[in-house]
Amino acid sequence: MIRYILKRLIMLIPVILVTSFLIFWAMSLTGGDPALMLAGDNAKPEQIEEIREELGLNDPFIVRYGNYMKGMLTGDMGQSYVTKRDVFKTFMERLPNTLMLGGAAVFIAVVVSIPLGIYTAIHQNTWKDTAGMIFALFGNSMPNFWLGLMLIIIFSLKLGLFPTGGKGGLDSLVLPAVTVGFGLAALITRTTRSSMLDVLRQDYMTTARAKGCSEKQVITVHGLKNALIPIITAIGLQMSLVITGSVLAETVFSWPGIGRLVYDSISKRDTPMVTGSIIMCSILMCIINLVVDLIYAFFDPRIKAQYSKKG
Amino acid sequence: MKKRLALLLSVAMLAASLAGCGGGSSSSGGSSDGGATGSGHKESLIIGTDADINNLDLQKQQDATNNIILKNTHQTLVFFNNGSQGDERFGPCLATSWEFKDDTHIEMKLRDDVHFNDEEKTPMTAEDVKFTLDMAMDNMAASILTGYVQCNVIDDYSIEIEIESYNNEFIQSLSSVPLSIQSKKAYESGVEDPYYIGTGPYKFDEWVEGEYCRLVKVEDYWGNDIPEGENLAPGVAEVIEFRPYIEASSRVMALQAGEIDVCVNPPINELQYLEEDENITVYEQTGTRLFYFGFNVEKEPWNNETLRQAVACAIDRDAVLEAAVYGKGTLQTTILNRGLWGFYDDMEGFDYDVERAKSLMAEAGYANGGITTSLSYASGSPYEQIATIIQSNLKEIGIEVTLEPMETATLKSACVDGSHELFLWRWNEDSKVDFVYRDLYYTGSGSNYHHYSDPKADELIDTVATEKDPELRLAAAQELQEYLVNACPQVPLYIANLVVAYNKNLQGQYFYGGGNHDWRHAYIAE
Repeated sequence: MIRYILKRLIMLIPVILVTSFLIFWAMSLTGGDPALMLAGDNAKPEQIEEIREELGLNDPFIVRYGNYMKGMLTGDMGQSYVTKRDVFKTFMERLPNTLMLGGAAVFIAVVVSIPLGIYTAIHQNTWKDTAGMIFALFGNSMPNFWLGLMLIIIFSLKLGLFPTGGKGGLDSLVLPAVTVGFGLAALITRTTRSSMLDVLRQDYMTTARAKGCSEKQVITVHGLKNALIPIITAIGLQMSLVITGSVLAETVFSWPGIGRLVYDSISKRDTPMVTGSIIMCSILMCIINLVVDLIYAFFDPRIKAQYSKKG
Repeated sequence: MKKRLALLLSVAMLAASLAGCGGGSSSSGGSSDGGATGSGHKESLIIGTDADINNLDLQKQQDATNNIILKNTHQTLVFFNNGSQGDERFGPCLATSWEFKDDTHIEMKLRDDVHFNDEEKTPMTAEDVKFTLDMAMDNMAASILTGYVQCNVIDDYSIEIEIESYNNEFIQSLSSVPLSIQSKKAYESGVEDPYYIGTGPYKFDEWVEGEYCRLVKVEDYWGNDIPEGENLAPGVAEVIEFRPYIEASSRVMALQAGEIDVCVNPPINELQYLEEDENITVYEQTGTRLFYFGFNVEKEPWNNETLRQAVACAIDRDAVLEAAVYGKGTLQTTILNRGLWGFYDDMEGFDYDVERAKSLMAEAGYANGGITTSLSYASGSPYEQIATIIQSNLKEIGIEVTLEPMETATLKSACVDGSHELFLWRWNEDSKVDFVYRDLYYTGSGSNYHHYSDPKADELIDTVATEKDPELRLAAAQELQEYLVNACPQVPLYIANLVVAYNKNLQGQYFYGGGNHDWRHAYIAE
């Protein structure tokens, strides 16, 4: 098992190489000169050229990429073109905010969606099932920013229960977490429902009932446990997406997370910040995927046996 | 056993996902909530900005939001008095007086009672001024200090600045925030972030990127004895905090909820909600931000001046103003930002007149239209609305326009390398006319997205910059504006109004048409 984990961690190296290359390449393909954005409107052409030279923007793509990777090897992710601050430090300052928002959103989503998914599966093809699926459809199709604004109007302006935005105490986390969590809950509900439906039709469920297990035992012990693998996959996937995908919620709630950082950096053509942030996000996603894979092993002994064999 | 492990792992996963909850709490609750001081005003003033604060190193940034903050903590040699004209427009600040000894040498006297807001209260001297100006030439701020050669220290409180050649607006350059005087000693002593140390009535307390930047009043400010109401008087509010709210609606709601005291640039379509709120004042004045439609005059057929004039006549600027900002702006004819020295708007220009447009089309050799072109602009409001109106207007005179929305960075690059044909852009300048004429129209200039080049225009631009006789200079400025409006590399569309919404008890604020507001003496009265 440990060898398996090590193997997976070593696989991060090609991930970093490929990700950094793709991002660097994509940023070079995108129109827009960072020097122009930095220099301001009053800059003379020669001053813009000086900035270009200083940032190495006149070098060929492969030289710039090589220089960047040389820095990476020594743990230096470079300096932001705009803020002149260390990319890694800036990213790490924002990371707790994103984990806080993502964690709270996933927590809300899990607490709501797993019971709802089980409930709708048990009551398949009844009005209860339909109501649950309408909720899921609603969550899937409702734009994040719209929901966020509606929640602010109701809970901040009308009821005065929560702040409209910014990162303050835990109360400032509630509305952004509900906004992001609502969308996540929709997918997890649907996954839970369909996974449970598959399991509910299995022979071992009938056997469990025949053995005299209560319906509660049948559902939670025999049913849910066997249905968990796709649900864990969905939760892991959502957690990965939340890390970079909360930009709208972060903007609406003025939440200082990574999504907003990356979005602002792209618009300013801040290549070191974009590349560094996305590499860090890729590493995080790999780690989350690894954790999810390890959780599989504890829920399913067959997977554990496979890991041990591969290890 | 397995069940326990599974349960343990599930809890661990949940805990891991909530790990951040504790991690970032160091700054939670750190931002100010503004209590009363018992001195007739709230302790803090909280300003909701429309952009992130991204760099507070004065000379290494060009961002309006950063500058608004830095204005409170740092001071310049010369102060720009918004709305004033003539000699009063630029007045003394850290410099008490200045005099041109000849065309290239300016002698400047400095205040002798100023100290930096460091622990030792280091006095500000001529060495600091020389250090600041010399350092600027190695930084981004060099673009503001064009023409600077060197600074010679005469004595502790006198300097002589040498410039390449006489320029009417060199002194005005010294009022730019990035050229605020910094402490030489702070840089030499190796203190971390030496650029934080200024001479202003406020100093930095904490900046959490993406969250807030908090300033606190300097208790032993050098100008504590300066009477209230004067430019260099001490601050009033104990704390001024700037919080970025990028989403405009969120900024409005934060003001309505009382979480911020000032909402900069509220969205025009939400003003009615703010106006209905009895606790909020919506302030509006003519701004200086000019939105315009431009031609790349290097490209066929836009090198044809008559054709450009025909297009100018075909644009319904009233409709543009209505669609873009619900009419909250001012139409203008000239290419110069309103409020700048020498603003002249009495030329005939090209009002909306489709018949005249068609007649000019015929004169230009395009009687049947048949022109296909593209209009590039930055995605989003108000450019989308403006582009749609212009597309429909030009269709009436036989010009088919393809709309090409793009990111600002991409648009700027396209405009610089000349791959564009028609474009929409804006120009915001409230102090130096040379930053309009030279930057936009001078041959080879960096922001000359029109790729316009005309020896006569260049000569007039130079005259406005260097002519010492005020009457001759004014005449040249008017002639230049007439000439450029007629040559029509640009069709000025409108000047957007400056709109700010704030707590009705706000006092002491000072608004600039360009948005570079002064909050040094602002406070919330109680």
